[in-house]
Amino acid sequence: MVLDSKIPEGPLSEKWTNYKIKQKLVNPANKRKLDIIVVGTGLAGASAAASLGALGFNVDIFCIQDSPRRAHSIAAQGGINAAKNYQNDGDSVERLFRDTIKGGDYRAREANVYRLAEVSGDIIDQCVAQGVPFARDYSGLLDNRSFGGAQVSRTFYARGQTGQQLLLGAYGALSREINRGTVKLHTRCEMEELVLVKDKDGKERARGIIVRNLVSGKLERYAAHAVVLATGGYGNVYFLSTNAMNSNGSAAWICHRKGALFANPCYVQIHPTCIPVHGDYQSKLTLMSESLRNDGRIWVPKKKEDAEAIRAGQKKANDIPEEERDYYLERRYPAFGNLVPRDVASRAAKERCDAGYGVGSTGLAVYLDFADAIKRLGKKVVEQKYGNLFQMYQKITDDNPYETPMMIYPAVHYTMGGLWVDYELQTTIPGLFAAGEANFSDHGANRLGASALMQGLADGYFVLPYTLQNYLSDQITIGHISTDTPEFDEAEQSVRQREQRLMDIKGDKTVDYFHKRLGHIMWEYVGMSRNEESLTKAAAMIDELENEFWQHVQVPGDIESFNPEMEKALRLADYFELARLITADALHRKESCGGHFRTESQTEDGETKRDDENFMYVAAWEYQGHANPETLHKEELNYEHIKIATRNYKN
Amino acid sequence: MDTNKLIKISSITKKLLVALFGAFLLVFLLFHMCANLFILAKDGGEAYGAFTHFMGTNVIVKVLEVVLLGTFLLHICLSVYLWWQNRKNRPVRYHQTSRTKTAKGSKLAIISGSLLLVCLIFHFYDFYFVKLNFVEGTYMVKTEEFMNSEPDQEISEEARVAFMNLINDGKTSKDMQWIRQISAEDKAVLQEAFPKAEFEPDFYAMARQKFSIWHIVLGYLVFFLVVGLHIRHGFESAFQTFGLNHYKYSRLVEILGIIYCWVVCLGFAIVPIGVFFGL
Amino acid sequence: MNFTLHIWRQENAKAKGHFETYKVSDISPECSFLEMLDILNEQLINDHIAHPVCFDNDCREGICGMCGLYINGRPHGNDDGITTCQLHMRKFHDGDEIWIEPWRAKAFPIIRDLVVDRSAFDKIIQSGGYVSVTTGGVPDANAIPVPKRFADMAMDAAECIGCGACVAACKNASAMLFVGAKVAHLAMLPQGQVEANERVKKMVCKMDELGFGSCTNTYACEAECPKQIKRQNIARLNREWIKQLFAGNHKPEE
Repeated sequence: MVLDSKIPEGPLSEKWTNYKIKQKLVNPANKRKLDIIVVGTGLAGASAAASLGALGFNVDIFCIQDSPRRAHSIAAQGGINAAKNYQNDGDSVERLFRDTIKGGDYRAREANVYRLAEVSGDIIDQCVAQGVPFARDYSGLLDNRSFGGAQVSRTFYARGQTGQQLLLGAYGALSREINRGTVKLHTRCEMEELVLVKDKDGKERARGIIVRNLVSGKLERYAAHAVVLATGGYGNVYFLSTNAMNSNGSAAWICHRKGALFANPCYVQIHPTCIPVHGDYQSKLTLMSESLRNDGRIWVPKKKEDAEAIRAGQKKANDIPEEERDYYLERRYPAFGNLVPRDVASRAAKERCDAGYGVGSTGLAVYLDFADAIKRLGKKVVEQKYGNLFQMYQKITDDNPYETPMMIYPAVHYTMGGLWVDYELQTTIPGLFAAGEANFSDHGANRLGASALMQGLADGYFVLPYTLQNYLSDQITIGHISTDTPEFDEAEQSVRQREQRLMDIKGDKTVDYFHKRLGHIMWEYVGMSRNEESLTKAAAMIDELENEFWQHVQVPGDIESFNPEMEKALRLADYFELARLITADALHRKESCGGHFRTESQTEDGETKRDDENFMYVAAWEYQGHANPETLHKEELNYEHIKIATRNYKN
Repeated sequence: MDTNKLIKISSITKKLLVALFGAFLLVFLLFHMCANLFILAKDGGEAYGAFTHFMGTNVIVKVLEVVLLGTFLLHICLSVYLWWQNRKNRPVRYHQTSRTKTAKGSKLAIISGSLLLVCLIFHFYDFYFVKLNFVEGTYMVKTEEFMNSEPDQEISEEARVAFMNLINDGKTSKDMQWIRQISAEDKAVLQEAFPKAEFEPDFYAMARQKFSIWHIVLGYLVFFLVVGLHIRHGFESAFQTFGLNHYKYSRLVEILGIIYCWVVCLGFAIVPIGVFFGL
Repeated sequence: MNFTLHIWRQENAKAKGHFETYKVSDISPECSFLEMLDILNEQLINDHIAHPVCFDNDCREGICGMCGLYINGRPHGNDDGITTCQLHMRKFHDGDEIWIEPWRAKAFPIIRDLVVDRSAFDKIIQSGGYVSVTTGGVPDANAIPVPKRFADMAMDAAECIGCGACVAACKNASAMLFVGAKVAHLAMLPQGQVEANERVKKMVCKMDELGFGSCTNTYACEAECPKQIKRQNIARLNREWIKQLFAGNHKPEE
C-alpha cells in the first residue's frame, strides 16, 4: 500500500487556497440527499456536524453520554492558540506554524500544520460570534496569555474553562442545526462496528455504522455516504489518565480493524502538571492547567535528606529555605524556564523523582510554587487568574495552594497518534474521515499546550466542510443507502457475537481489575521513558494479561439492558490490541522524539535525541488479524519549507 | 379567554402577575397601616371617622376597593394554582428531607399565605363584613342626616328615646356633626324611623372596643407576625420576579425589604397594643 | 472508614424502585464519593450480590456535568460548589448512614438506578439557547469590544455545566437557573442581542412544555449549583422575559 497524503501543489502558504479553488462542490439541492454520520460530539465532532448541517447535508451525530455537551473537550482548561498577533509581539501564521512543528519535534506533516495555523484566526472569530465569553482586558478587547513552547502570547482563554466554553459554543451551533432539522442527535449510543460496502467499481467504502444503544443494549444500524470519526484519543489505555472515564479508543480501533491505518500510536503525551496519585482505588487523574506554569515555579529540594524528610512527613515545603530549593527547569532551560514543552517538563520531573528528590507521601511529586507570584502580583491578581484551579486543587487534596506549594506529577493526557489521514482528513478507507484527537495529523510527536482545541475546531469548522464535500461530490449517484443489506447483517452479527463471547466467560474478575493491571504495565514499561527491554517485557505481559482477561472476566447483567460493565468490557478488549500496537510502535522507533523517549537515544544531558536519518516518517500500521504483528507502512516526511534543527529550549 | 389559553400563559408571566398583585397589596398595606394610626388619636374618633367616611363614600375609592378585592382574589388563586401545578413536577418525592439552605420565607410562602387567609377571614368578620352588612357592629351617622330627613311617619317613642340617649350619653362629636357608637339595636330602631339616614360603621369605636380584649389583641399580634413573614418574602421576591435584582442593588433591596417589613408590622402592632394599654 | 449505604435501585424506567442497603468498609478518607461507589460495585460483582449500581459519571473533575446524586438530602452531597465526583469521603464521619437517590423530577425520568434522562435540558437549548451564526463569514473577533465587566458577568453565567442540580434541589423542579444562566450569558454580550427576545420566549416556552416547575424564589438552585451560578441570572431571565412581552411581535407575512 502506498500512502498518498494528497498534499496540494504549490508553495506551503498557498496549498490550502489552491485546494479550495480546485476542490469539487455539491450543489445545494443535492446536499440534503447526502447523509453523513459523525461519531463524537466533542469540539471536532460538534463543530463538523454543525457546519455540515448548516451547509445542508443530512447529518446523524452520535455520542456515548447523555448530552453532546459532556464530551471531554469540555475539560480543557488553559486556552486555544491562534495567530492573531493582537498583542503585537511578533506573532504570525508562520510563527505559529514553526512553533507547532518544532513543538512536535519535526514529526508532523508540514502542509497540515500550516493549514492549521492559517485557519486558527478564523476559529477565534467564529467562537466570539457564537458568544463564547473569552477573557477581555479593560479596553473590551480580547486578552491573551502565554503557554508552553511559545515566546509570544497567543493563547485565548475563558478563565480556566476554555474547553468548556468552546464546546458549549459548538454545542450551541449543533443545537441550532438539530432545531433546524439538518442534524439528528443520538445520545447514549456507542459505535461498535463500521460497515463497509463495495462499490460497483469494486472499491470498498465506509457506508454506515452499527451502534449499541446504551440504554436498551439493542444494536441499531445507520447508513450514510460518509462517516466522520471524532471520538478522541486512547489515553485511557493507561487506566489512570486525565481523560474522562468513558473516553475510549474503541471507535478508532474498530476502524483500524476494518482496514484504516493507525499512525504513530507510541506518541502519547504525558502532561507535567497533574495532581499526584494517592491510592490504588483511584479512578482518574486530574489535570491542573498548564497555564499555571506561567506564574508558578517548579522545584524539588536540593538535598536528598530534605526530600526524604518531606516524604516521611517530618518537614513541610515551607520549611525548605530558598537556597535549598532546586528550580530544576529554570536551571536546565534558562531561555524557556518553567514554560518548556510538556514532554520536556514531564521527563524532568520524572528524572528528579527517580533520582530520589521527589516529594509527597509517595515520592512521586514535585512542587509548583506560587509564593513568588503572590508576592509579585498580589493574592488578588493570582486569584483572578487561577482562582478556580486553586479551588479545584483544594477540593481534591484539602491543601491550600495560596499557603503551601501545590504538588504535581505527570500523567497521561493526550495521544498524538491516531488514525492515519491524508490532507483531506480521510483515512485509508474511502469515505471514512477522522478529526480532532482521533486522527494523527497535526501535532507530530508532541502537542503544544492550547493546540488541541485549535486543531479540533479547525478540523470541524474549517477543514471537513471543504474536504468532505470534495469526497461527496460524486456520491450523489449512489442514492439512498439501505441498512437492510448483507453487509449490515454481518456487521451486526459480529458485534453480537463479540458481546456474547464476553458474556459467556462468566469469570471471577471485574473489568476494572484487568484494566488497572493493563494500565500499570503501560505506565511502567511503555510510559514516559521506554527502552528495548521494558517494551519487550510489556509486549509479553500484555499478551498474558489479555489471555487472562478472555478467560476470567466477569460481565454481569444482560446484553440487552443498560449495562456499563458490558460497555467497559468491550472497550477493554480493544485496549489490549491497542496496547500491543503502542508497544510495537514504540519498540520499532529506535529514536527519541517528543512524547516518545527511548532511553537508548538521549543526549548527554538527558534530552531527546532524534534520528532523522532513519525515522523521519510517519509509522502507519495495518491490522493483520488478532494478535498478529501489524504491517508497517511509512509516510516519509518531506520538509520543504522548514529547516530541521535540534529542538532546543535552553537558549 | 378560555381556560386552556390561561394555562398556556408562561410560568413567568403567571409569576409576574402574582408579584404584580402582591406589590399592589404591599402598597395597600402601607396605606392601611398609616390610616390605622388614627385610631391611637384620643379624639373620640374625629379624625379616623372623617377618614373612614371619606373612604366609605368616595366613588374612586369604591372602585379601588373592588380592584383591591379582585387583586386579593387573583393573588391567592394564582398562587395556589402555581403551587398545585408545581407539586406535580416531582411525582416521586425524595426519601430524605431536603437539607439545602433556602430562603425559608419563600419556601413557606404558601403556608404563611394560607394562614394569612384564615386570619384575614377573622379580620373581615371583625371589621370589613360590618361595612358589607354581613354582620352587625357599631355605627355612626351624621346628625344632619336626621335634620334633613323627613321622618316617614310619626317618630316612634322607641326611636326618640334611643336618639336622646345617644345625645345625652355624649356620643356626639364636639362640633355635633356626628353621632357615634350607635349599637346595632339602636341603629335598627333609628333606621326604621329615618329610612334615608345613612349609617356608617364606626370602625374607631369597634377597634377601641375589640382591642381592649386581651385575646383579640393577641390574635391580631399573631396575625401581624404572619403578615410580616409573608411580606418579608413578598418584598424581595417581587423585585426578583420583576427582574430588578442586580448584583449592585440586591443588598439594597434586601435592606429596604427588612425596613419595610418592620415598619409595617410595628405600625400595625402598635395600634392594638396602644389601645389595650390605654394610650 | 465504614459506611452503610441506602441506594435507590430501579431496574428500568418502568420498574418499581426501592432502597437497598449495602455496607462498605475500609474506605480511605482521600477516596472520592464515586470511587467509593466503584469499590462497592467491585464488591457487588465479585460477591455476586447484585447487579452493580448504575450511576452517570464521566470526567470526574467537576466539569462535564454528567454525575449527579442526591446524597443525604442534598444534590451533589453536603458541600458547597462541587459536583458529586468532587465530593470526598473525608466530608463524612466513620459509620455514617448515607442515603443515595437519583435526581427526582417529572422532566428527568429515571433510566436505571441512579441514572436519569436529562435530555430535556438539551431540548431547551435546542429551542434557542445559542447565537444563530453559521460557520464562516463572521466579523473579526476584536471588531466589537465588550466591556470587561459584561464579559466577566457573561462568563459567570456561562459556567453552567447542565448537571441538573438546580432542578433536583428546587421544590418545584424548576429549571429557571439553568435557563436563566444561558439567557443571561447571551444577553450580556452584543452577539446575543440580535435574537434576545426570540430566544427567551422560545426557551421559556420549551421549559414550561417539558414539565419543569416555576420559580418561587427559594434559591435552592443557587445554594446547590456546583458552579455557584447566582440568582441574579433568574432575575435577568425575568427581565428579558418582560422585555420580550412588551417588544413588538412582528410576524412575517406568509
